[in-house]
Amino acid sequence: MIPENRPSRLKYFTSGIILENPILILMIGLCPTLATSVTAQDGLGMGIAASFVLICSNFVISLIRKIIPSSIRIPIFIIIISSFVTIIDYVLQAFEPGLYQVLGVFVPLIVVNCIILGRAEAFAYHHGIIDSILDALGKAVGFTLVIVLMGIIREFFSAGTIFGAIVTPAGFRQSPVLFMIFPPGAFLLIGILKSIVNRLNENKGK
Amino acid sequence: MNSKVWMVASLVIICLLSAFALSKVYLVTQPRIEKQKREAVNIALSQVLPQADSFKPVIPDTLWYGLDKNGNKVGIVIKVTPRGYGGTVETLVGLNMEKKVTGIRIASPAEGLHETPGLGLKSRNPDFRNQFKGKTATEIRLKRDGGTIDAISAATITSRAVTEGVRKGIEKYSKYLKP
Repeated sequence: MIPENRPSRLKYFTSGIILENPILILMIGLCPTLATSVTAQDGLGMGIAASFVLICSNFVISLIRKIIPSSIRIPIFIIIISSFVTIIDYVLQAFEPGLYQVLGVFVPLIVVNCIILGRAEAFAYHHGIIDSILDALGKAVGFTLVIVLMGIIREFFSAGTIFGAIVTPAGFRQSPVLFMIFPPGAFLLIGILKSIVNRLNENKGK
Repeated sequence: MNSKVWMVASLVIICLLSAFALSKVYLVTQPRIEKQKREAVNIALSQVLPQADSFKPVIPDTLWYGLDKNGNKVGIVIKVTPRGYGGTVETLVGLNMEKKVTGIRIASPAEGLHETPGLGLKSRNPDFRNQFKGKTATEIRLKRDGGTIDAISAATITSRAVTEGVRKGIEKYSKYLKP
């Protein structure tokens, strides 16, 4: 914990978007980011689904953090997170079947999104309810922005569309850069994004 | 000692609370999920055979008769499950009484489709599916196999799986088209 004299609470929200972006700075949650950023819409779906669980789990864990024994906090976090994931799965299926068609494949993947466990451990367990929700919102926005950005870039190169809308000439769509669909393309892209962010941070430090 | 007891007790309490919450959510949502699934089947059936007003299951989960308002048979819907690139590709095929395809529908990833996003998954797009409309079994082959269906670029396995599955399904079940 960095000791500070009562920082503005909004900072917890804004830091997640750029300064402590979960993917490009903290380097957590890479697995779902690489796997589900094939198209912009997939990225958005994963972002929304994970964000919801992240906010709920940060809320509940900060609510009960004082009674969780620290030696078994991790199993308790996992129970809480997986319960939320299951609840969302049921509720989406029952009440929003259209949305479930889009998000359904991503819901089970949320359990392994280490942003959620990471924020429970690093933040919600040590902070109050409002701060924890702000932190979750910030990290959720940061995660969603990066995964959608990657989805847009990969979809653009591999299919010539963005959110399904055609943006390139037919010739390009006939033989697109299929490489970007596959895992190596995802690794390459996240490496490029990370190096851009590193460069920006270096320049800022000077 | 006391802290050890609380360690166990807190874990037990959290597990019980979580199980309780999940069972409540399950009880509330399960009937609706079942209903949604039944409705989803009906919607899917009328997508591939829009002429029909109702559907009568003949072979469970495989063959339906499509009936009009007066109960006359206007076509059939069959479900075929050819092997694609990542697993089976569940496909519904609507056929009218002239043995012509009225539409096909490929299951979504949420329904268990495992084709590659951006490649085989494109088989769900109308560009590919609409090629089947109005065609008879003999025309349904990929162009490179001497037929009339354009394969999805870089996704020949999925394209061929769907095409072959649809044709073989028609050949196998078209005898049910007799009135």
